[in-house]
Amino acid sequence: MELAIGIILGCCALGAGLCMGIGAIGPGIGEGNAVSKACEAIGRQPESKSAVTSTMIMGCAIAETTGIYSLVIAILLIFVAPNLMVNILKNAIEALR
Amino acid sequence: MQTLDIITINLWQTLISLANLLILFLILKRFLYKPVINTMNARRASIDKDYSDAAQAKLAAENDKRAYEEKLAGADAQADSIIASASQVAKSRADQILDEANERARSIKVRAEADAELTKQKAQAQIKQQIVEVSSAIAEKMLERELNVNDHGDMIDSFINQMGESDGTDN
Amino acid sequence: MNKANLKFKIIDALYIAMMTVPILFGIVFNTLTKLPSEGITITGAQIYFVIPMPLQDLPITSAQINSLLVIITVLGLCLYLTHGLTEKAERKRQLLAEWIVEKTQAMVNESMGDFFKGYAPFIAAILAISALSSLLSLLGMFPPTSDINIVAGWAILVFILITYYKLKGGFLNYLKSFTEPIFVMTPLNILGEIATPVSMAFRHFGNVLSGSVIAVLIATALQGLSSIVLGWLPGVLGEIPFLQIGLPGVLSIYFDVFSGCMQAYIFAMLTMLNVSGAFPEDEYEKRRQKKLSKRSKA
Repeated sequence: MELAIGIILGCCALGAGLCMGIGAIGPGIGEGNAVSKACEAIGRQPESKSAVTSTMIMGCAIAETTGIYSLVIAILLIFVAPNLMVNILKNAIEALR
Repeated sequence: MQTLDIITINLWQTLISLANLLILFLILKRFLYKPVINTMNARRASIDKDYSDAAQAKLAAENDKRAYEEKLAGADAQADSIIASASQVAKSRADQILDEANERARSIKVRAEADAELTKQKAQAQIKQQIVEVSSAIAEKMLERELNVNDHGDMIDSFINQMGESDGTDN
Repeated sequence: MNKANLKFKIIDALYIAMMTVPILFGIVFNTLTKLPSEGITITGAQIYFVIPMPLQDLPITSAQINSLLVIITVLGLCLYLTHGLTEKAERKRQLLAEWIVEKTQAMVNESMGDFFKGYAPFIAAILAISALSSLLSLLGMFPPTSDINIVAGWAILVFILITYYKLKGGFLNYLKSFTEPIFVMTPLNILGEIATPVSMAFRHFGNVLSGSVIAVLIATALQGLSSIVLGWLPGVLGEIPFLQIGLPGVLSIYFDVFSGCMQAYIFAMLTMLNVSGAFPEDEYEKRRQKKLSKRSKA
């Protein structure tokens, strides 16, 4: 029983860390690309700075989406999952008994 | 009092939130958009009315100006024609007066000549009479005879007429 | 004249009260009913009472109450802004009201075209409720957008609108549009269809939630740090977390103000793009022509 609960908690924590860690790679690369292209555009035509900046910020907010998904799953895993899963385990053990 | 977990899905809360958004949409539409759009439309209508009024006033002013200019040009022509006719009338009146004056002068001259002629004839008649009297007196004295004027009157008249014709041709 | 002026000012004061009293009430209520807690507590909203309903119980939480307070505040704001409208704009609030109306109308006209001209109040409603709900976290209250149910409600409404406009091109055309490039792509297309509202909801919810989570984490970390660094101060002074002052406020400017407003704007923009993109112009025109010709023939 303790081993089972220990495995559950450990896997939850591991999953949370891995989820957020791997999920942070994508938006970082994507938004870096977007910002670099925006800087090139501003360098080519300095008058369009405000339009390019606002478009870039909006595009970054949309590209951030998958990073936010992984953050939400990580938060779920840390705060909600252990309780839920330990309850399921206990109910299963009760049912099996 | 307890707290919810971070993510708990509840059907009724979802529906309530949906209804909240709809209610807020209706609130904004009725209380913010309708009065403001009405005010903006009223402002645009009054501005349009001002513009059309100004355009109409401008048109009326141009019409008035055109009529005024026409009347002004017509007034010039009218003045010219008045002056021309007046001068013509004056000229004809002057001619008429001149003619009248000439006519009167001529008639006065004619009358004066007629008067002078008449005075001359009267003077001639007087002279004839005096000559008749003087010559009859002389003839009486020379003939020592009393002449009868009536008997020898026509002889004397013919003698004087002879004298008068020669006087007339001399004069 | 003076009496009319006085009445005007009284109604003004009433509207301002309608704007500010709900917020004050929310703050007071929040501080009164906050559970005392130790350490890190990242939880959802507080439940006040539960209404039993069929299918599932309805817990009245602080999220619902804050949402209601936001609606009352927006109503008070609308009434205040449109009080005493004149043709020649004299007061500053009329300029603000006209600016709001013109800006949203221009945004809707630019993104959605001519057919959706009447959508400006809807987009303004989304922007208002989203931004104000996120900004409530600045005042210490629980922001309603931190609750997935509320954001999911808005996303479901948008999904209903998208489907409604897609159905205007004909039901068979709607089903056919799922098999668009190749027939085997149908499940992916259906998933993509569902993914639109889910992603909109999760984006908005995730940003606001992560903001509050990170704020709590940093506050707790600073508390621990200050107790380690400054713990040698005697007596009560050693327990006050000095380092906790200041930095969370600066962070909350980014997470609450900037992120909240940005996510509200993106939610509205995605609504506009999806609803206007879901409307098949030519199909609708064809159906309308067919219906007109059928009606004129009959």
